[in-house]
Order: sequence, then C-alpha cells, then structure tokens
Amino acid sequence: MNDRLKKALDKVQAEEELKNNTKAFLYKKTKGYTSTKTVPYRRLLPAIVCCLLVIFGGNWLYFTPTVEISIDVNPSIELGVNRFDKIISVQAYNSDGQELADSLDLKYLDYTEAVNQILTNENVSALLSNNAVMMIGVIGSGDAQSAKVLSEIESCTVGTANTYCYYANLDEVGEAHDLGLSYGKYKAYLELQALDPTIAAEEVQNMTMREIRDLIDNLSANNNSEVNSGNGNEHGGHGTGSGSGQGKRNGYGQLYD
Amino acid sequence: MRSEQEVNRAIEQYSNMVRRLCMIHLKNYADTEDIFQTVFLKYVLSSVSFENEEHEKAWFVRVTINACKDLLKNFFRKRVVSLDKIIEQPTEISTEDSEVLEAVLSLPQKYKDVVYLHYYEDYTAPQISQILGKNVNTIYTLLTRSKQLLREKLGGDEHE
Repeated sequence: MNDRLKKALDKVQAEEELKNNTKAFLYKKTKGYTSTKTVPYRRLLPAIVCCLLVIFGGNWLYFTPTVEISIDVNPSIELGVNRFDKIISVQAYNSDGQELADSLDLKYLDYTEAVNQILTNENVSALLSNNAVMMIGVIGSGDAQSAKVLSEIESCTVGTANTYCYYANLDEVGEAHDLGLSYGKYKAYLELQALDPTIAAEEVQNMTMREIRDLIDNLSANNNSEVNSGNGNEHGGHGTGSGSGQGKRNGYGQLYD
Repeated sequence: MRSEQEVNRAIEQYSNMVRRLCMIHLKNYADTEDIFQTVFLKYVLSSVSFENEEHEKAWFVRVTINACKDLLKNFFRKRVVSLDKIIEQPTEISTEDSEVLEAVLSLPQKYKDVVYLHYYEDYTAPQISQILGKNVNTIYTLLTRSKQLLREKLGGDEHE
C-alpha cells in the first residue's frame, strides 16, 4: 500500500504555471523584493493617528478650563475647572493668595471639595471671623456648567458669614488678567471705577475685599448725598449746549427747558 | 525579508509538497493558487531562521495545512460548490493511481494529513505529532484507522 500511495502521489506535481504565477505574485507583492517595511508601517498609520487623537484630544478635553472660580478675601486665587468638574489649575494673584495656594493641594479635586477646603482653611476662617468679606465668583461663558457650578457653590457657602457669590461672563471680565487682577477684584474694580474714575488697578490689587467694599459703599453713599444736596461738582453753566442744544442741566442733574 | 533567490529555491523545493497537501484538502485549482500565494508570501515575510532543512520542511507542512484549514473555514467557500475538477492533471494519471488518490481523498479530513505525512513523506508518528501539535498516541490511532479504511477501499493486500 505504501508503494501504491507513493506512486500515485508522485504523479501530483506543482504545475510550472502555478510556480511561475506564485513567483510573479510574490515579486509584485514585495515590489521586487524591496519594500516590505512600508507595509506594516502603512497599516500602523491609522492606529498611530487614532492614538495621537486620543492622547491630544483627551489632553485638550481634560486640561481646558471651562469655568473659572475666583475667590477673593485678601488672598486672591482662581481655580480653573474643566468640563469634568475637576480643578486643573490654581493661580494666585497676590502673596497671600500664593501662601494659601501653597498650603492646600487642590489640583484634580472636585471643585466643591476644593471650595470647602478653602472655606475651612484656618487663615480664611480667621479672616472671615474678623469681618472680612469673601467674594466667590463663577466665571463662565453662560453654559449649563457655569449655572450648575454657581448653584453648587452657593449651597456650599450657605452657612458661611460675609461670603457672597456672583456670576460673571468671561466677556465682561476678560481684561482682568492683563491688569494683574483676579476676576473677582476686577469686577469690584469696575464697580469702583464707575463711582470714582481716578482709581487705578494697582491700588485695588493690594486692597482686601472688605476695604474695596467699604470704599464702594462710601463712594456710593457720597454720590447719593451729593445728588440729594446739590453740592456736586457740576454746575448749571458747564452743561450748556453749543447752539443747537436744547437742554440745559442744572446743579441738581435735572433737565429743564 | 528573504531574497528572491532564496524564495525561488524554496518554491522549487517545496511546491510539489504544497501542491499535494492542497490536493488532499481543497476542491479546486483557484484555491490551490491562493494557498501557494499565502504560504510563500508568509515565507518571504517570515523572519524565522531555520535550523536545518528538516525544520524548514516541517514549517512548510504546518503553514500549508493551517492555510488550507483557514480557507475551508471561510463562510463563503463552505457554501459554494465548485465546478472545477479536484485534480487538474488528468492526462498523466492512470486509472490505478487515480483510484488510490480517490481513496485518500475520500478519507475523513482528520486522517488525510497523517496518511500523507506517513506514507508519502515517511515521517514517523512522533515526528507527525510534533508537526501537527497532537499527542503521539492520537497519531498512532489515526494511522491504524486510516490504514484499515484504505485497505477496505483499495482491497487491502499487503501490510506496510
């Protein structure tokens, strides 16, 4: 049986055409036996692109702040919050702020946890019990996340005295960092400037929030009393129009014909 | 990557064996061409360094059998009945030989490899067990049963 099998199978041989076709196929496939190295590289390319997308896209998604939380007592710090509600940056705007930022490890914490840590910090609570004012601002672009952050922070600060929360749009306070102020102080500075245009950003930078608030209160009280008593700087003659003007302003700031 | 000379040498040396393995597994010539391309392309791209010729031959047996099995597993091919003839060299094969080949082809799938490797390539059962990755005793059993089956089909006269 051995021999019969061998004899029969011996008859089965690879045809010349089959061999030649295979040789031609291999020559074509390997581009003349030169370039197989590019084949796996090309196959890997989409995978590499996907990996890069995931890495850089993920990086961008995680490390782009969507909301800033500005906390001002005298220490002024700003917390950058990403879209996953985690703190990704802590920026101090004065030396007290730097001290506070150094004493706490807030990075990658949930923002509610971070705000709680700041509120319960010894220095901050000491300041607050000394009648300091704390402003917590949420600066966002008006999306749902900013509203959520604001309401969360409001509920965090419910039991804390002298603490105020506010919301500001990024467009309103965008210039703050150029002036070296935190968003919270810049907002107060804008308020102050409306009352007293001579005030400079540098002056505000080193004032505590209590001082700024007091100054605002004083100035607005003064302004009101000036308006009411007529002792303002404006006098009737200064308001005269140039010929075609029909209205004149008297010392009381009222118009008459 | 291997050189063209090396590949051409391998084609000359092993194409008959690959062809026979294709013949006992596959149903048409187009599939055989596919297997040739797959097996020898694998050889071109493979970085395996063979210890000796036996090692290389065993590698070809293994790769060819696996390629055939992969091809047969293919969903589409399972449902296509080929019109091609199984053997495309009717001219030189006598009736007696084709009777033997048909007997081998009619064996259940699991016996074909051992029959070919044992009777034609003269591998021993332990060698076959190594190449196919099966237990030696399984190979002995397969050989005994296939011998019985072939004897029945071919009118068993003599033993090995």
